[in-house]
Amino acid sequence: MAVYIDINRCIGCRSCEVACQRVHGGHGHINVHYVGDYAAVPVLCHHCQEAGCTMVCFSGALHKEGEVTAFDVEKCTGCGLCALACPFGVVWTDKLAHKCDLCQGREEGPACMATCPANALSDDFELAARRARERSARAVALGGRR
Amino acid sequence: MIRVDARVCLGCMSCSNVCPSQNITRSEDSGRRTVHWKRCKEECDLCVELCPAKALSLVPWDENIPEPEISFDLVACRICGSPYATLPMLQRIESTLPAEMQKDASGLEWIRICPVCRRDVEAEGTVRQMVLARSRK
Repeated sequence: MAVYIDINRCIGCRSCEVACQRVHGGHGHINVHYVGDYAAVPVLCHHCQEAGCTMVCFSGALHKEGEVTAFDVEKCTGCGLCALACPFGVVWTDKLAHKCDLCQGREEGPACMATCPANALSDDFELAARRARERSARAVALGGRR
Repeated sequence: MIRVDARVCLGCMSCSNVCPSQNITRSEDSGRRTVHWKRCKEECDLCVELCPAKALSLVPWDENIPEPEISFDLVACRICGSPYATLPMLQRIESTLPAEMQKDASGLEWIRICPVCRRDVEAEGTVRQMVLARSRK
């Protein structure tokens, strides 16, 4: 499971950042980046299948639990290698590493998803895929290139 | 006392973070990180155990040995130029990750780019896909 982003819907309000920080005691794991003045993209952990952060973590704090890239805070030394091994720049360290835990322990699921007023975030891969397919189909129907 | 093998120390933040008596200090200014190991009489070996490079070892107390200190020039991000990591840390990443992971689809060597710029690159890449999809109309 991961949180999928539909940037066609993102309005750049940064509500997800606030929600994430609220759940994680001020240490947020999602960053909204603006591209020019026409688009906003929330960037967060992809829970990569082959995760660089888990490969460089020498203490085993970052590890794969099924599809989730999980983090065991008890084992973390805050060395900072994981932050440098993440291609998306979404793991960061101060005295400990901080990364998306999909709001583990929060019954309602990830807070960013629940907060997003534009429904741009979802953990439903099928929904994300269906929206993308619909958009392509519409583009074709409107006479676009195939 | 702690002995440091300067040839293998990565200049990471592990030992200074885990030391319960704060005997290992780390300071950063103008693109340089300095790690200083104070003389320590503790029996504890947390820093030795938790060193990713196995650069530390405990040696008997000796007043004549100077306190170890190592300085690292921080590597500047190839995009924004801000110093963000020590060279040995980046080399460790480069030797650990499989080669095919070290460049993105456009051939960008992302390891030499700071995390903030990596997010910008990711955002721009995603937006490019969206713009392409819309321009097909």
